[in-house]
Amino acid sequence: MTLVLHDWELSADAYRARLLLGLLGLDYAKVPVDVIPGGETESPAFRKISPSGTLPVLVDGDVVLSEIAAILVHLAETRDVACTWLPCDRARRAACLQWLAFALGPLRASDAARDTAMFEHGGPWREPEVMAHRALRVLEGRLIRQALQGEPFLVEGGPTLADVAAFPAVALAVDWGETLTAFPKARLWTRTVRALPGFVTTPGVPEFL
Amino acid sequence: MSLPLEPAVRDDWHVLCRLADLAAHVPAGFRLLAHDVWATRDAKGAVSVRSADGRALPVTLAYGHVFTSLGAPARPLFAIDEVAEPDRRLATCGAVRVRASGLRLVENFLDMAHFPFVHTDILGVEERPEVPRYDTEIRWDVDEVWATNCRFWQPLAAASSRGGQMSEYRYRVASPFNVMLYKTAPPDPARFDVIGLSIRAAEPDLSFAYAFLLLLDDATPATTLIHFQQTIFLQDRIILENQRPRLLPLSPKAETPTRADMSSVAYRRWLKAKGVRFGVFEAAP
Repeated sequence: MTLVLHDWELSADAYRARLLLGLLGLDYAKVPVDVIPGGETESPAFRKISPSGTLPVLVDGDVVLSEIAAILVHLAETRDVACTWLPCDRARRAACLQWLAFALGPLRASDAARDTAMFEHGGPWREPEVMAHRALRVLEGRLIRQALQGEPFLVEGGPTLADVAAFPAVALAVDWGETLTAFPKARLWTRTVRALPGFVTTPGVPEFL
Repeated sequence: MSLPLEPAVRDDWHVLCRLADLAAHVPAGFRLLAHDVWATRDAKGAVSVRSADGRALPVTLAYGHVFTSLGAPARPLFAIDEVAEPDRRLATCGAVRVRASGLRLVENFLDMAHFPFVHTDILGVEERPEVPRYDTEIRWDVDEVWATNCRFWQPLAAASSRGGQMSEYRYRVASPFNVMLYKTAPPDPARFDVIGLSIRAAEPDLSFAYAFLLLLDDATPATTLIHFQQTIFLQDRIILENQRPRLLPLSPKAETPTRADMSSVAYRRWLKAKGVRFGVFEAAP
């Protein structure tokens, strides 16, 4: 079954999906969506596959998903036989879901700060840069504690969906002027993620961070 | 308080927005050259632009965009003859906000040397970084800067590319904040695609870049063409936001050019001769 991703190169959420597809080594077809300037996500045709106009949309046979959390979990559950990205072990799975929710919750302020900086379309966030800095401090604290245990990723034992979901928010922060100088562990972690087999980049991810 | 604008900038044409961004009868506000202006479109599609003090400003609609001027333009908006060719497609890419002088954006657009390193495996490859010698001239009769006989090896020159090509470029700076390039069209190497970049200089160090394409490619979906240009521009944006100073220095001693920077040298010399100051870095005396 061919996977289809309705995609926009500049969307952080779409990059989350492309990153996991790359890490899983999956082939898929891209359908480009004219978000800016075309506003295609507002069109009735797009709203049929994405009721609230969110992007990306993953089509996997009869399954149509337009929420990034659902896309990441679905790909892990159906394509990741080794149980790497959404661990089967109960404690690791709980930690993965905790940090996945963080990455797609508070940390998404960084995406909003980026959208504001690039397009002046920050969405409903107020002061996204302030909120993003708070979230980055939480992430830095987690990575420091992990490093003290010899763990380079957000969840002990290896990379998970939590790292995939958090990476775009951190690596693309440079687009809103945040170069992570105050977040050394986050910087180191971005290099570790970049070294994963199957890693794919996107415009904006700094080559030398 | 607004500083008085120099005539070279005040009386020039500046892009305001895409025509499609204006809804009928809904005035839209824009920042242009540190001034507030308002644009309105009527039901028939005619656009009027007013300054904050109610003055009607000149309007030209072209290349999918609204152009205006805060002063009295001495000449019409730059003409791109290719727009009249029946097999040309127009695509507009929307606005991207950049914390840098608009002049820096134009200069970056003129630069080929960064292709292999910023647009790796798209507009250049790291194994072939050389910028072959090209020609630059300030054409005083038409008041434009041109760079011609530019060649560069490109693995993916356009969204329609099937493989690498030795691209031939001509750059044309039609006014301080409007630049375009003519580039070998992959579907018909005897003719040129036209890529325009018009900058709305909102503040001296804050710009909105509007790109438009006049292409011969009739097979690639417009969205794919737009995404290709957006990808390229986002790669440039990181570089532009990290250049210091954010404003463009015109003194020949301020930055050290190489032979590949001949077009930039000509552009800066021309800006200086025209007396352009908006977006220019002026060192403390």
